[in-house]
Amino acid sequence: MNCKDCADKLDRFVDRELNDTEVLELQLHLEGCPDCEDQYEFQTHLKRLVRHSCDCDTAPAAFREKLRQMLT
Amino acid sequence: MAESPARTAFAEEALTHLDTLYRGALRLTRDPDQAQDLVQEAYLRALRYQHSYQVGTNMKAWLFAIMRNLFWDRFKGSHKDDVSLDDVNEFVLYDKLRDEGAKPEADVLDKLAASEVVSAVEQLPPLHREVVLLVDVEGFSYKDAAQTLGVPIGTVMSRLHRARQQLQKSLYDYAVESGIVRSGGMKQASQQ
Repeated sequence: MNCKDCADKLDRFVDRELNDTEVLELQLHLEGCPDCEDQYEFQTHLKRLVRHSCDCDTAPAAFREKLRQMLT
Repeated sequence: MAESPARTAFAEEALTHLDTLYRGALRLTRDPDQAQDLVQEAYLRALRYQHSYQVGTNMKAWLFAIMRNLFWDRFKGSHKDDVSLDDVNEFVLYDKLRDEGAKPEADVLDKLAASEVVSAVEQLPPLHREVVLLVDVEGFSYKDAAQTLGVPIGTVMSRLHRARQQLQKSLYDYAVESGIVRSGGMKQASQQ
């Protein structure tokens, strides 16, 4: 695997969408390529940042209760 | 009026996904009141079409699909092709930081305010925003996201890739404005 192959598969690696063989190939490349490893760390960090920034909103309690009464 | 036990059980299960639906609606509409209206309508529609839900399949994805279809019907009409993302430079924020030797590049992300990340997500065109919401925020697989959005998996992947590029561009702009990096990409945050 070269750096271009790695870049092409990085989204799917970060999203855990590669098969076992592809994961092994990519992990091997990352171990020997600091640039791609940095890119991977950055993408993983950004994905986690997006999730943590956006998943703290919860439905207001009064709205939840209103729905519960309406639906059940 | 007393509801049937089956309907009540269905509603109770559906309500376990309320936070996901509300978050999604909030990010799509960018308005808490509109988000509540959208979610309420989605739940009413879900109960109306309860018979079309296949037990054992992904209820969260099914509910989200109802909600986002309502969003497009109500708030955007049915014209989804008028929003697109131009191809931007590959991973602006990362590339700028790397070029200036700021290592590790990921440290800069810790300096970004959560509100700015949310704002960057909300600035994405809705077709790209919803993919980020499903995959990055709610942890959907590409397959479930594709099913929810009614598009091929390849479309999910391409929208996600462009959305992430655009997110980096927005976050880079914010990092420059707020002094986290200089416009050339030079890192300042380590001195704070």
